[in-house]
Amino acid sequence: MTELSLSEAARRAGVSPATLRRWVAEGVVPLQDGRWTAPAAAHARLVARLRRRGHSLAALKAASASGRLAFGYMEDLFPGGAGELSLQDAADATGLEPALVERIWSLVGFPSHALERMSPDDLQLLRDCAAVLAAGFPLVAFLQLVRVYGQALAQVADAEVRLFHLYVHEPLIREGVPGLEMAEEMEGLARELLPLATPILERIHRRYLRHFLEQDVIGHMEADLDASDLDLGRLRVAIAFADLAGYTRLTEEEGEELAIGIVESFVEAVEVTLPDDARVIKTIGDEVMIVGSDPRALTDWAVGFQTLMTERPRPRIGIHSGETIYRDGDYYGREVNLAARVAARSAGGEVLVTRPVVEGAGPYLEFDLIGEVRLKGFSRPTELFVARVAPD
Amino acid sequence: MAEFDSPKEFRQVMDRVFTLMSEDAEMGPALRDADVPQRFEFSDLDAVVNVRAGGEGEDNLVWEWTDDVAWEPKVRMTMSSETANRYFQGKENVVVAIARRRIKTGGDVKAALALIPITKPVYAQYREVLAVEYPHLLA
Repeated sequence: MTELSLSEAARRAGVSPATLRRWVAEGVVPLQDGRWTAPAAAHARLVARLRRRGHSLAALKAASASGRLAFGYMEDLFPGGAGELSLQDAADATGLEPALVERIWSLVGFPSHALERMSPDDLQLLRDCAAVLAAGFPLVAFLQLVRVYGQALAQVADAEVRLFHLYVHEPLIREGVPGLEMAEEMEGLARELLPLATPILERIHRRYLRHFLEQDVIGHMEADLDASDLDLGRLRVAIAFADLAGYTRLTEEEGEELAIGIVESFVEAVEVTLPDDARVIKTIGDEVMIVGSDPRALTDWAVGFQTLMTERPRPRIGIHSGETIYRDGDYYGREVNLAARVAARSAGGEVLVTRPVVEGAGPYLEFDLIGEVRLKGFSRPTELFVARVAPD
Repeated sequence: MAEFDSPKEFRQVMDRVFTLMSEDAEMGPALRDADVPQRFEFSDLDAVVNVRAGGEGEDNLVWEWTDDVAWEPKVRMTMSSETANRYFQGKENVVVAIARRRIKTGGDVKAALALIPITKPVYAQYREVLAVEYPHLLA
């Protein structure tokens, strides 16, 4: 590995050469054969940052000895985080109003202070945004898309870093691999993996785009045929909520690991069996929110799904259909809240539905009225029905 | 509605499907590892096929067009030949078909759910075979 001069290492770490010498002498920054290398300088940079945050040298020495600071070198794989461009520079270069740049920045989820230190990469991002708008994509829709991109990709990046830490860094720490050796090993692996992430994401994205174009266009076309009375941004859909009855107790009795395994199997079973026009919008713990364009198919699916899930904890499913507000890739509104409340009233193994679902149902199911039920948060009672397979 | 010309054609086509799955580099070993013996009954043709994972020295899948087999099926499914044809083209959702009584199930059907993602690649392969050799069966 290329040797660095002390002054170069100090420049990279952002401290004086004298400070570096002291940190080496005190064992806070390890050197291989007394030589400064890029991993050692990255380690020192991390130490400098942690010192500014108030950590003592003793604590940093202990963290360094255990290899916990070996992550620093990987930051070198992502050069140019901050730049010299101001908000006004970006606005001038892209033709976007400064207020719009701020709005895009905030919707993606980037910190506002970085607006005054934008990099060439950031500028290119804003240029691409400007091109989308110049092509005629409506601003209101684009801003929603930007938020969805930000949230989804933040989750991706967070998962990449956390999983790398849990399954690569932590095992090396437990094996007692020396800090610098660990840094080099992790950097090597990350350098191999990183160029693969973007093509993988791109291909997954493209495949999903193709899927939703094939499936949802049909569903949306059919839904749109009778949706001329809907306001812009509203969609008429079927909404299902499903969770596992007794999941909290199961977690208490059987432990978190087993309970998580059961939830993963449940969510996977939902995902692989849903009709083509339906998809999981989100999961919260053991709860799954599903939206489909065809209430009949979604209800048939729910009843069929229950016949397969005979082991405890059994799912409970509630379905309602109606007009929703589609925003930022999610569905909102009174009808969504109602669907969630319907699911909360169902028991394990049951599919509870509302009257609009019954009226849109096909010939394969039967519905038993269980009465008018006052659901939490709704002033008027709601008719609820249990759906089941009609006898032959 | 796409219909088989004869029970003989149906059997030829299903043999082809099981061969595709058994010989595929990904599906075959995955189905062998999953080890879920299944019995399919095709009600309109009075035909039964029993499928199991291959053992030592056998192909990944082994199937026999009879109930007289030396193993017990873990999952039982009854459907028409038309539903089977639609299913292998990826046009029939198993769970929805159960609710619509186009597929009747018995045994450990949850085990069969685990096979769905494994066998998904066969849909495109089956459609390719149909497009070239049995275009009247394309759904």
